[in-house]
Amino acid sequence: MQDDIVIRVVAKVMIPAVMLFALYVQFHGDYGPGGGFQAGVIFASAFVLNAVVFGLNKGRHVWPARYNLMGICGGVLLYGFTGVAGMVLGKNFLNFNVLSSDPVAGQHLGILLVEFGVGLTVAAVMVMLFFTFAGRTAHLRLLSKSDAHERKVSASKTAKKVKK
Amino acid sequence: MSVLAFSLLALGVAFVLAITRAALGPTPFDRVLAVNTIGTLAVLAIAVYGFFDGRPEFLDIALLYALINFIGTIAILKYFRFGTLGDHPHSSKKDKSE
Repeated sequence: MQDDIVIRVVAKVMIPAVMLFALYVQFHGDYGPGGGFQAGVIFASAFVLNAVVFGLNKGRHVWPARYNLMGICGGVLLYGFTGVAGMVLGKNFLNFNVLSSDPVAGQHLGILLVEFGVGLTVAAVMVMLFFTFAGRTAHLRLLSKSDAHERKVSASKTAKKVKK
Repeated sequence: MSVLAFSLLALGVAFVLAITRAALGPTPFDRVLAVNTIGTLAVLAIAVYGFFDGRPEFLDIALLYALINFIGTIAILKYFRFGTLGDHPHSSKKDKSE
């Protein structure tokens, strides 16, 4: 795929556009269609496109494995702590009215933070799923090859033993 | 009959034609092309329906559908060509030589 110049150039043009659109869906979700989950999936699709076109190794270079845990746990923790902040300030769990002096501004801030946590988690999970499944076939093929080699070696050994 | 309703009907006819090609297509590449065409038609249908219904926010969804459609087509073609979505032997050799 790296040899196809058309796909390479189009992908390079598309990837930033996809990421920008994901951010638009994320932060404009209050007013239009969208939200955290959709934005996370769109953001992850940019990395999926990168990995499909430029190869899994380069994709893993852009999104190392440690980002998975950071993204997944960071998103959930952001969600949880935004909820706990309401409890700390004297209201129920996930009550955003008290996050700011004005209840409407507090709701805005709370929704923004919670949706950002959702988006972070979903993006990390989606990228992790794709990398896991796309890397699986090569791994399996390698395993079956070494298995076949071992079987051949052990078969020749037993044949030698039988001869002795 | 308004212009938008007529274009929706025309898109429906185009859908039927594209689905026929996807069902009949002798080679996998005909089917991939037909599915890609159906995706493009879906983008147009979503956009036209958004204005037909008086809700232009549908344009966002149409834009998103176009992006995902492109990525899906690239992924399907790569799977057909190399048999895997990950690294295939040719590319890993090239990576090492780089």
